[in-house]
Amino acid sequence: MAMVRLEKASKRYGDVTALEEVDLSVTEGEFVTLLGPSGSGKTTMLNLIAGMIAPTSGRIFINGQDATETPPNKRGLGMVFQNYALMPHMTIFENVAFPLRVRKRPNDEIQSKVSQVLDLVHLPHVANRKPRELSGGQQQRVALARCIVYNPSIILMDEPLGALDKKLREQMQLELKRIHTDLGITMLYVTHDQEEALTMSDRIVLLNEGQIEQMGAPDDLYFNPRSVFAADFLGNSNLFDATIEEAGANCTASIASGHTIRTKASPIAKTGAKVKIMMRPENVNVVREGDDSSRFDNHVTGSAIDSIILGGVIKHYVRLKDDSTIVAQELTRSGRRALTPGQDVRLAWRREDTLVLPLQGRIPG
Amino acid sequence: MAAVERPVGSKYASSAMFLSAAAWFGYLFLLLPSFIVIPMSFGNVGEMVFPPKSFSTFLYKQFFFESNWMDVTWRSFRVASGATVASILLGVPAAYSIVRGNYPGKKYITMLLLSPILIPIIVIALGLYFYFASLGITGSEASLILGHSVYTTPFVIVTSMAGMRHVDQNLETAATIMGAGPFQTFFKVTLPLLRPAIFAGGLFAFLMSFDEVVIAYFIAKAGASTLPVKMFSSIQWEISPVLAAVSTFLTALSLVICLIGAMAQKKD
Repeated sequence: MAMVRLEKASKRYGDVTALEEVDLSVTEGEFVTLLGPSGSGKTTMLNLIAGMIAPTSGRIFINGQDATETPPNKRGLGMVFQNYALMPHMTIFENVAFPLRVRKRPNDEIQSKVSQVLDLVHLPHVANRKPRELSGGQQQRVALARCIVYNPSIILMDEPLGALDKKLREQMQLELKRIHTDLGITMLYVTHDQEEALTMSDRIVLLNEGQIEQMGAPDDLYFNPRSVFAADFLGNSNLFDATIEEAGANCTASIASGHTIRTKASPIAKTGAKVKIMMRPENVNVVREGDDSSRFDNHVTGSAIDSIILGGVIKHYVRLKDDSTIVAQELTRSGRRALTPGQDVRLAWRREDTLVLPLQGRIPG
Repeated sequence: MAAVERPVGSKYASSAMFLSAAAWFGYLFLLLPSFIVIPMSFGNVGEMVFPPKSFSTFLYKQFFFESNWMDVTWRSFRVASGATVASILLGVPAAYSIVRGNYPGKKYITMLLLSPILIPIIVIALGLYFYFASLGITGSEASLILGHSVYTTPFVIVTSMAGMRHVDQNLETAATIMGAGPFQTFFKVTLPLLRPAIFAGGLFAFLMSFDEVVIAYFIAKAGASTLPVKMFSSIQWEISPVLAAVSTFLTALSLVICLIGAMAQKKD
């Protein structure tokens, strides 16, 4: 069942369109992430669902009911904020009890439920402390407990891990995922961090300039981006201007360096069409002396610019004849040394890893 | 090692010392007239001289037990308390509306609400006098409370506005999304967080009303005046030495209230 559904929801501020006729449906138990750069409309979307702002046009349904006109305190949602938004004048216990007190639940029920959720977030011992005595990660877990305790139909999260350092953020991602799986809570998560989105989501909604750019499972978005924006925003990509030479199953395209590249078949590949072709750096291989490169469909040569070791992976930057740069990424192994700048390099990759994308807009899905 | 250690900027130390000495001298110069009445209040019965020639607590006895000074003091207490309550009841909602609200003309309404700070107090006093006279309530304690509220409310508004700006609006949003209505949000979230600011503003309002002369002088009936007005008229007509005891009492009261305020602030 759809817990939240937006129907052609738009939000305009004067001439500025923050959100343009967006349709979205989040089903029960799903973990959906709204991903996009700042100003793409993801926070607007969250605020529309929460009821903090009203849509200029369109409808919002929560739990099957039209909630477009429902005030925020009657929507029965939960929200986790980036700055935690715990009440500084209340103890942790009172913070978590707040939504139950508002609902006038009996005292013994409050007692048992609050200690239950504090156990769930592994913080049973902090009940009598004030929020400022807790670390950022602990505060955010309390904020989550405060949502879980009244069983809202969906929990909205506005960049909840944005204020935490990298290590803690990764821990919290796993923690959130665990709680989501254990309790089957529906979650709508806002982030601009693509890695976070890829790690946690059942489904990613990629937003760009107030519109949904692409929507789908993380691997679908990663492997089959439908636009240059999507390819660029999720993961790294090599993008080249290209002209289609041959359409169909044996699609080929020529790029400015003079190479002809074999690409995956695409509905937009018409002979002579100007397009972009895209390869993920991790699919571009450096062919060394004695390597068998016959399984690759595309081969180019260039001269090495530099290699950068990023812990587990190493990135090679290679200049092609027309001065364009292509990046190849390999796992760091002891045998794989950095390239000497200026050295000739052979690169190779497969046809299936070469996508054709439109110069502008997106492939209709 | 210690011998070569020289704190950063130590060449400024001497000028800093000079500056602080100058500041202390300034404070003392300004405070001395207030403190001079303290030894005088323990002086003799008949005269007001400095330094006092003998020590006695007669003037305090007179102030607390053997005159109508205490009646007047209690009236001032009642008026100041009433004005404090009224300014909090008016000022806190006004500050909430100014900071959180979003409506046309807000800037002008703010200016209007704060205008008693800018208008000369004598003008306010005169206006209140005519206004209360036309209503026929001049001289009553209620009119004193009303008059002082006009004077003290802007200060409560200013401190509450400053307090409101420190209340994270996300907290109110969070409370709302968790199901709290506007009143629950205000009373359970906003108001408790605003308490230190309201407390400070209230203390300030109390002291201002307690010390206020001009408005009270215009409005109060003869024989039913407030403490500062009685002091003012008694220095004109009788120069009673008990004034020294009253002044000391007022100074001590202000000091105690300021200390309470400082302690409350530290606790938060």
